[in-house]
Amino acid sequence: MMAQLARLAGTGAQSGRGSLGTDISAAVLALVAMAILGNLVEEFTAFEWSLWAIQAILALSLVLIWGYGGIFSFGQAAIYGIGGYTYGFWAINFADNTGETLTAVVAAVVVGAAFAALLGYFMFYGNVTNVYVAIITLATSLVLFAFVNSTSGSEYRIGDAPFGGYNGMTRIPRLTWRLPGGASHELTRVQFFVVCVAAGLLIAVGIRMLSRRPFGRVAVAMQHNELRTELSGYNVRSHKLALFTIGGGIAAFAGALFSAWGRFISPPVFSLTPAALVVIWVLVGSRSSVAGAFIGVLIVEGLSSWAGGADGNNEPIVLGAILVFIVLFLPGGVIANAAKVWAMTGSQALNRWSKPPTPPEAALRSQPKPGSSVFDWMTEANGVRSNTPIATRNVTKRFGGITAVDNVTIDFPPTGVSCLIGPNGAGKSTLFGLLSGQYSVTDGSVLLEEQNLTKWPAFQRARQGIGVKLQVASIFKELSVRENLWLACFALPHNRATADDRAEQLLEWLELGDHAQNPAGTLSHGQQQWLEIGMVVATKPCVVLLDEPTAGMTREETRRTGELVAQLGERASVIVVEHDMEFVRQLSAPVTVLHRGRLFTQGSFDELSRDERILDIYLGRE
Amino acid sequence: MALDRLFNLGFDLFSGISILLLVSIGLAVIFGMRGIINLAHGEFIMLGAFATLSGVRSGLNVWLAMLVAAVAVGIFGLVLERLLIRRLYGRLFDTMLATWGVSLILVQVVDNHYGSVTEGIRVPVGSFTVGEFSMSAYNLILMGAAAALTVGTFTVMRKTRYGLLARAATQSPTMAQELGVNTSLINMWTFGLGSALAGAAGALLAPLVGVIPTMGHTYVARSFMTVIVGGPSFIAGTVSASGLLGLVENVATNRFTPVIGQAMLLIAAIVILRFMPQGLTGRRDTR
Amino acid sequence: MNTPREQRKWSRWPRLAAAFFALAFIAAACGNDDDDQTGSAGDGASQVEQPATAEDGTGDTPEATQAPPSSDEEEEEEEETASVEESTSEPIRVGSLLDETGPLNIYGTPMVDATRLAIADINAKGGVLGRQLELVALDSKSDQNEYITGADRLVAEDLAVVHAGITSASREAIRPTFGEAELLYFYNVLYEGGVCDRNTFVTGVVPTQQLQVLIPWAIENIGPRLYILAADYNYGQISADWVRHYAAEHGGEIVGEDFFPLDVAEFGTTISAVQSAAPDAVMSLLVGGAHMSFYSQYAAAGVNESIPVVSTTFGLGNEQVALDPVSAENIIVAYPYFQELDTPQNRAFVAAWTAEYGDDYPYITDLAVYVWEGWHMWADAVNAAGTLDRDSVIAQLESGVSFDSPKGIVTLDGGSHHLVQPVSLARTNDSGGFDVFETYDNIPPSFEQESCDLIANPNINEQFTPN
Repeated sequence: MMAQLARLAGTGAQSGRGSLGTDISAAVLALVAMAILGNLVEEFTAFEWSLWAIQAILALSLVLIWGYGGIFSFGQAAIYGIGGYTYGFWAINFADNTGETLTAVVAAVVVGAAFAALLGYFMFYGNVTNVYVAIITLATSLVLFAFVNSTSGSEYRIGDAPFGGYNGMTRIPRLTWRLPGGASHELTRVQFFVVCVAAGLLIAVGIRMLSRRPFGRVAVAMQHNELRTELSGYNVRSHKLALFTIGGGIAAFAGALFSAWGRFISPPVFSLTPAALVVIWVLVGSRSSVAGAFIGVLIVEGLSSWAGGADGNNEPIVLGAILVFIVLFLPGGVIANAAKVWAMTGSQALNRWSKPPTPPEAALRSQPKPGSSVFDWMTEANGVRSNTPIATRNVTKRFGGITAVDNVTIDFPPTGVSCLIGPNGAGKSTLFGLLSGQYSVTDGSVLLEEQNLTKWPAFQRARQGIGVKLQVASIFKELSVRENLWLACFALPHNRATADDRAEQLLEWLELGDHAQNPAGTLSHGQQQWLEIGMVVATKPCVVLLDEPTAGMTREETRRTGELVAQLGERASVIVVEHDMEFVRQLSAPVTVLHRGRLFTQGSFDELSRDERILDIYLGRE
Repeated sequence: MALDRLFNLGFDLFSGISILLLVSIGLAVIFGMRGIINLAHGEFIMLGAFATLSGVRSGLNVWLAMLVAAVAVGIFGLVLERLLIRRLYGRLFDTMLATWGVSLILVQVVDNHYGSVTEGIRVPVGSFTVGEFSMSAYNLILMGAAAALTVGTFTVMRKTRYGLLARAATQSPTMAQELGVNTSLINMWTFGLGSALAGAAGALLAPLVGVIPTMGHTYVARSFMTVIVGGPSFIAGTVSASGLLGLVENVATNRFTPVIGQAMLLIAAIVILRFMPQGLTGRRDTR
Repeated sequence: MNTPREQRKWSRWPRLAAAFFALAFIAAACGNDDDDQTGSAGDGASQVEQPATAEDGTGDTPEATQAPPSSDEEEEEEEETASVEESTSEPIRVGSLLDETGPLNIYGTPMVDATRLAIADINAKGGVLGRQLELVALDSKSDQNEYITGADRLVAEDLAVVHAGITSASREAIRPTFGEAELLYFYNVLYEGGVCDRNTFVTGVVPTQQLQVLIPWAIENIGPRLYILAADYNYGQISADWVRHYAAEHGGEIVGEDFFPLDVAEFGTTISAVQSAAPDAVMSLLVGGAHMSFYSQYAAAGVNESIPVVSTTFGLGNEQVALDPVSAENIIVAYPYFQELDTPQNRAFVAAWTAEYGDDYPYITDLAVYVWEGWHMWADAVNAAGTLDRDSVIAQLESGVSFDSPKGIVTLDGGSHHLVQPVSLARTNDSGGFDVFETYDNIPPSFEQESCDLIANPNINEQFTPN
């Protein structure tokens, strides 16, 4: 539990942890200390430390996209390599004329970010997710590795700078700056070290700052539950692309510093080992904390350096054993566990730090304005409607050879509850998926207020007023109840104050006020379902799709759910898929029966309950 | 094209596919059934090769040595599962970290024990000639072994009681437990089976490759590509992915150069995953 | 955000504590990193916490961190030579940076062993300028970054000479560092050739030396049609250029060529392509562990009996040991040194080697002998120059010094800073070794001689490539 909280401490999801001010003061302090230290030690020691600072920046790029955005990439080292090579090309070609290499750093960042953007567009807009992203990024690295290795010929060069093949690019200028009209200054090792540390801390503070912005909160939400984020009306793909691009820029920046540091770069940066090593650093430190990037690099690289000095042959064994140890005894990374230990043993102040204090919650907890109820703002935006808010025209969906939905044409009324029933495999959930945009139709069209939505992605449909509650409650289990609602409320108006207010109103409506600060995962089953209904309502839907809202509920919970659904039905078109016939009867709504993907029959519950054929299909009698 | 050349082309193609299949099938079991990204997979292959070497050196018949090697790596897998992996199910990234650690240890331990260079074993069978082309009869054995191991794995998963329980434990662990299945034990056997298959791959490759402690690196990336391009239906997926990627690499190598062949394999993997985000056997779906 | 003032105040100090913790941690890690093994991690932490907490207190940190790094290896040397300690002067400190661990230790281990043996030998024979040599040896762990930091550290060590680097990439990473620091640098490895740098001396053989012997022999004794298989990187590409060059010069013909990324381990398609082209011989420029598989697969397909392999790389990583005798059959190689060379100098060298490292040493590679030559030629030059001054030593080396090496007489070509050395042809035998059948003396590094004259133009600093 505490580990979870401690982990969240770094995510910025509960962005109450500290403020920009404390972040900056900590960073400045660390920088001053490192600057003093850098001046005290031997030059070559500062030189070695610079590499660790650079590697920490590289690790930060992964913390950003993985820890905060949930994108697991093996490609950060490759983008680092691209940044390094770009710096090399630029600096070798232009440094003599311009007298500085800062433009080369800028060029590296631009090229790295552009590469990441291209790759990200290719992946995310093709809906590549999870481990598949890892494999595509790894494969891309290895393609680059093979390519750069075979560039030893003198025809492979950009201006004065040859690629150099496996031997690498050499004699890359150091980091040099020059004021306009002034002389150029090459950074000394100690200066370079301080610059690297400063850059790392600046990026770390920047990442934390970003995480407190709505953009960062959405990123965290995306990491916890991508589907719900999208169904709440957020454009998940563009968020991912933006994060991946920023991460690429940071990695390329680290690569530029690396080239300037060693004055050399060679193809192995694109190989498997560095690709995995970045992940290892972050895992050892903590993927969801910026401090984890620094600590991870220090532990892994420091340990390699130390173990190698003692007895080189056993270095991999020591390192391997430490990794296994961390996984077994410090899961979640060193930082998360350090926070945990402090929380248990530390003073009260430390306790306060690790517990979930509530600055943002306090911000959210403004008093609900009297007179503004959930349903007022829910309807205000929906305005004039036609008679058919949502409808399908000859919709068909095939998965491979299986036809899940077969030529269904159906209209739903603008308000009121409708029920959709049918035996397992009848295509109910698939039909929902087609309406919400989770699935693409094979044939036919989906209409909303006579607008053709067939090609729209899910988040746009959500913004247009289609809300979906999935069969298994799809909520952000690790975020607090209030944050869940806030995220859903923020999607549409994109206004903090409005979202704050509405989240409060929803809490009240759902009677979840007592649990507002608890992680949503700790709610009871029924409460989780209601929370999700609340999140659907938060998007101001004109159509609400509820997939088996009462499954697994107690009788009392079912009754309460019925009330909520009925209330919703006064303002929107609510479509309920349900197996619980008692609940369907309670709703006393028109019922549509699906069977084998086809529209079987429609009517009131009483009419249908007298229909022998329906009993047949439920009992499997043909 | 002359008939012998045609046969030769097919022979090379199926050799390539068989090797890809061999080095991937163990990973497919472990990743497909247990969702473990085993970064030490290459080292399991390496262990299989070294175990075969040791077996032959201590006087075993080479075929027997291969069998013993596969079993030995399987047992090693069982032990590793009990000590480490079983604590990590469901923690995808932690297993990566832990198995990376294991792979570092294995390479160094083998290096310390055998040295960086060690004496190899000879190919146990000769060659045969079709028209102008002389080919390795051992590759025929590789093809047979790849097919046999694949069919064997499939049979184990589909026809045996263990297979049924293993699939149940994968699909619904809690339900399986409620039905009285010892899922922990089943998972151990699954990991052991995957390890044994990796060991078998190493054993079978031992006569054909340079057996050195770092040899696993050669295989780990491409076996991952294969398994993941294959998709969720892991046996059918791995077979079809090996076939497809092997074909692409072989044709590109033949038509152009080995560098392009290698690049094409990777690019094919990228393109396939872009347009079939769940892999070859995934549901062709989502928006 | 309207954070209550009270909470903000409280939330600050744990954060500061976190910063201190991080710093202490950093310091601890770094303290360990210093070669000064006496300071424990705890010491490191307490030393640097002072400047962090009270920003003025520098305390005794400088002394602690500036303690001269010492090396474990060097102590062994000192023990060995303790009896010669009567020489009054301080020992001369010299440096070495090689891959003792990691994948490259296939090459690194014999080189490290040769380094120790050479230093011990020099010290036993009275040292340099009457002083003992003290070796500062760093392990680059097959990691490029370790080369960069290692070179930087060696420069800070006030050394007389550094012998370092195995892969060409490592050499190119560290060569500029030593050049700028004016620290004399020896690179004792077979490589692709062309380095032209006043501060750098190379004892390794270059492709032109091996190929000007091997190609004419192959064309005359096997046949004119050659098929090139090469590793797809600088060494392979450049060597392939020279194969084409010498083949054309001697009436040979290149009937095919393929380049392989270093991690390719499957050669089925290639072996078929070779058979289709039906060359007289395969010219192998394959390198590394994965490429070793070629020889096994070539033999498994039974092609090695009809089409022999000639190579300038087979054996570099002790392929003849790692492969079974059948796979390694019928391969002809050209190197300056073979352990089997039957000369008095070599017998003595092998005896000294096995006395130190045991009878079961896998094979003394020619890389080991380049290292041996590098150290001895440097020591001889310093002794002849009578000073450690870099320019005087370079001038002495450039005057064309010779050395009686285990493989025969080698002579330094002053203009190119490469060695004129003997090259022998040998055939693999069935006991994991080679049978030497012909030796050619005084083979010049012809391309380097042509393109590089550092006596006339001492300011050249680049690596030439053919064309």
